[in-house]
Amino acid sequence: MNKSMGNRKIIMKEMGSAIFLRRLELAMVFSFSHAIVFFISQFLILPTAAQPVFDIIKQSPTYASCNYDVYPDSVPDNLTPAPADKHPFYISHYGRHGSRYINKRSGYDIPYKMMVQAKGVDELTPTGKRVLNEMNHILEDSEQRWGDLTEIGREQIRQITRRMFKRFPEVFADSARVAARSTVVPRCIMSMESAMMELAQLNPRLNITMDASKRTQIYMNHQDSKLYRTKLTPEAQKAYDAYTATRLGNSRLMEQLFKNPDIIKEIVDESFFNYYMMKMGLFQMNTHFHMAERAKQLLVLFTTEDLYRMWQIDNALWYLQYGFCPLNGADYPYSQRFLLRQIIADADSCLRLEKPGAQLRFGHETVLLPLICLIGINGYDLQTTDLDEIEAKGWWSSSVFPMGANLQFIFYRSDPQDEDVLFKVLLNEQEATLPIATDSPPYYRWADFRNYCLAKLDEYEKTR
Amino acid sequence: MRAPSAYASCLLIAIATLCTTQGAGAQTIADELRADVRRSAGMYYALPVTETTKDTPPPAGKKPFYINHYGCSSPYYLDQPGRYTAPNRTLARADSLGMLSRLGRNVLRKVALLRKEAHNRTNELTEAGKLQARKVAKQMTERLPEMFTDNSYVDGRSIVQNHCLLTLGEATVQVSRAHQPMHVDCNGSHSYQQWMNPPDDKLEALRQDTVAIFKFTAFVDSLEPDFTRLAKTLFNDDNYVKHINAAALGRQLFDLACTTQYSESVDDTSLLELFTPDEIHRLWKIRNALAYIRYGGCTLNGGYQPYVQRSPLWILLHMGDSIMTLDNPVVHLRYTHQNVLMSLVCLLELDGFGVKTACLDSIETLGWADYRIAPFGGSIMMIHYRSDKNDPDPMVRVLLNGREAQLPIPTDYPPYYHWQDVKRYYLRKLYIYERERNYE
Repeated sequence: MNKSMGNRKIIMKEMGSAIFLRRLELAMVFSFSHAIVFFISQFLILPTAAQPVFDIIKQSPTYASCNYDVYPDSVPDNLTPAPADKHPFYISHYGRHGSRYINKRSGYDIPYKMMVQAKGVDELTPTGKRVLNEMNHILEDSEQRWGDLTEIGREQIRQITRRMFKRFPEVFADSARVAARSTVVPRCIMSMESAMMELAQLNPRLNITMDASKRTQIYMNHQDSKLYRTKLTPEAQKAYDAYTATRLGNSRLMEQLFKNPDIIKEIVDESFFNYYMMKMGLFQMNTHFHMAERAKQLLVLFTTEDLYRMWQIDNALWYLQYGFCPLNGADYPYSQRFLLRQIIADADSCLRLEKPGAQLRFGHETVLLPLICLIGINGYDLQTTDLDEIEAKGWWSSSVFPMGANLQFIFYRSDPQDEDVLFKVLLNEQEATLPIATDSPPYYRWADFRNYCLAKLDEYEKTR
Repeated sequence: MRAPSAYASCLLIAIATLCTTQGAGAQTIADELRADVRRSAGMYYALPVTETTKDTPPPAGKKPFYINHYGCSSPYYLDQPGRYTAPNRTLARADSLGMLSRLGRNVLRKVALLRKEAHNRTNELTEAGKLQARKVAKQMTERLPEMFTDNSYVDGRSIVQNHCLLTLGEATVQVSRAHQPMHVDCNGSHSYQQWMNPPDDKLEALRQDTVAIFKFTAFVDSLEPDFTRLAKTLFNDDNYVKHINAAALGRQLFDLACTTQYSESVDDTSLLELFTPDEIHRLWKIRNALAYIRYGGCTLNGGYQPYVQRSPLWILLHMGDSIMTLDNPVVHLRYTHQNVLMSLVCLLELDGFGVKTACLDSIETLGWADYRIAPFGGSIMMIHYRSDKNDPDPMVRVLLNGREAQLPIPTDYPPYYHWQDVKRYYLRKLYIYERERNYE
């Protein structure tokens, strides 16, 4: 299983680019945008292949926050050359929006209220008081921005789009058609628009169309109510409770913040507090530079072991709820059957065209993760009842759906008459494997994949 | 330039208003409605983007360096399914009883088509809307090419409403095509609400003032056409007409005709053609009066409604000053609701639209027409000019819906105004308002 997004390294080369410097210069003098366009992701350290999760988190703490992880701002340029005579001619894509503010205030309220109450009864240590002060700043920064795409998020999307364009210029040549579609959620619309603006800069002749309609929600953002009800069966809950029993809690954190942890336990739930406090700190890495600096004040409270345990807890929950976990009936990934059918139907139509261009879709991680499990990309169709096994077998949700995560299907043929269409899948811009046979990996025959998926979906729908 | 005395200022404003209203033409509103019946939709009219534009050359040596913009969304599918279901229900029932005329059946078919087209598309831009947003942006980049260069900084903002976000997106993608490389960014955030769609509970409560409602009701009663005429064309039995609410159906069909004229499935004016020119004119007057009461300077509810938008005006003034320290061209594009734009135009008194009256009958005579002020795709662009960074006398030109607008301020080089005069005039206006309101 491909366990990581590729070699991680400190990215400084982009900082040298003229565009980056100009943005930085303008941002520094431009009070209107209140923005420091100093992308913290440019300083993130990215994991290497085959690294244990613990080591990845040690290098890049945000990896521990699963779906709040920040997208790497560079990917290794190590694509396998296409078989002779085959050229890329069509891209089909589903991507998550870029980094955003947390959706709702309630996400921060849990640890915040606990801290305020502890302050009320004079139980905060000097460290606790300092941390509460930082939390106040974080809340102030987030107020009226709940769910908004951040500057880091917009830059992520621009960079991903730029790399897609540079890697597959044939698809975006001349007046190629680019059909972009978003869910009706504003941060997805903004992500789509950031991507299209980048493409228009790279090739102003592109024929770009954008769309965000409730009509397409059935496949762009489908949350299956029937499957949703069985996301966490009593059996699954029991397994989860057993798995997390030894991993929850953080008495060291309590001792740092509270004068009498034993007393404060009457009003502060240690497990909840530990979990949400870490999330609050890690989330700031998605907003902007000075908030990331503030977040460090929170993150110093945690050791790599603490972060690693939280990642295990979160990862297990994502697996139980969104993966092929037999404890829940092993069927939640089928919630994305409409999207998979749409991707196939769109490809069927586009393959008939001489220059189909690209179809780019912008949505959510709660769609992307089950879709990847449904297809079985990189072995994410793993089925196990042993939650200790998911980490060992490489089912690492953070590698699938950081902010800005994306799945690209790149199609190849020799000419429009070539019926032997090949394709490869890029998960977060890295070549991925599929659960079907091929003689030239990572390239697969489209017809094989199409048959595999449709048979799988037909089989499921027969039983539903 | 020195500011005129208060007396002279008032006199100049009066003359300017008079000239504007005369020039804009009280009589020409009827002509305009006849020339393009779609204008009767008022704020739902889509601003046509013409190929030719009038641009008075700037004073010698002055070049544009800043575009300070507020715009509104392009045509989109409106919410409120009742728009479609209510007339559909009345007509479908009559059809089931065999009571529809041929025209009535045709109208029912169109209403059903419109309903189907709009289903599940609330807040989505129509195809015509997307095209308009791109054309408006393209026109801007072609008119002011100096503003879109290597060193330009283009920043688009929108309130968090999908039709505004999508209009912003179409505009910024189009702007991105104008020049490469160029920094173009766009964003939508709830935090922009305070200066792009500010709430003002106090003034909004005044909006529904009893006197205003009473006068408006009387105005409607005096103007609303007898919809029995229309009903008799839709139904094949005059006795059946007596049993339906012809007035409600007439209002519903006019509203639908106005709000769906950018449909993909029905010819854009075909429903409006159900109404006679006189009926269209009367119905437009009613819509226009309502817009004037809600967003204009109508004194029936105090005359303060445009001041709801004082935060956007502060932004126009503040940014106009701040930006002068920058070396490179800057473009700020902002997309918000049409009512924000309408009140802001009135607050700025552009082209005499700040006119105040309690007489609803005189609004048309004064040239105050909703479709002239804030149609779909409408905008205010305050364009700043200077000779260089140290120019002590920067000037501004304002485009209202793409056309050079007149400000209530004297100038020696119209339509260019000295920034210091502009700033001084509007700051005084804001301060006077604050003083008046504080003592209430």
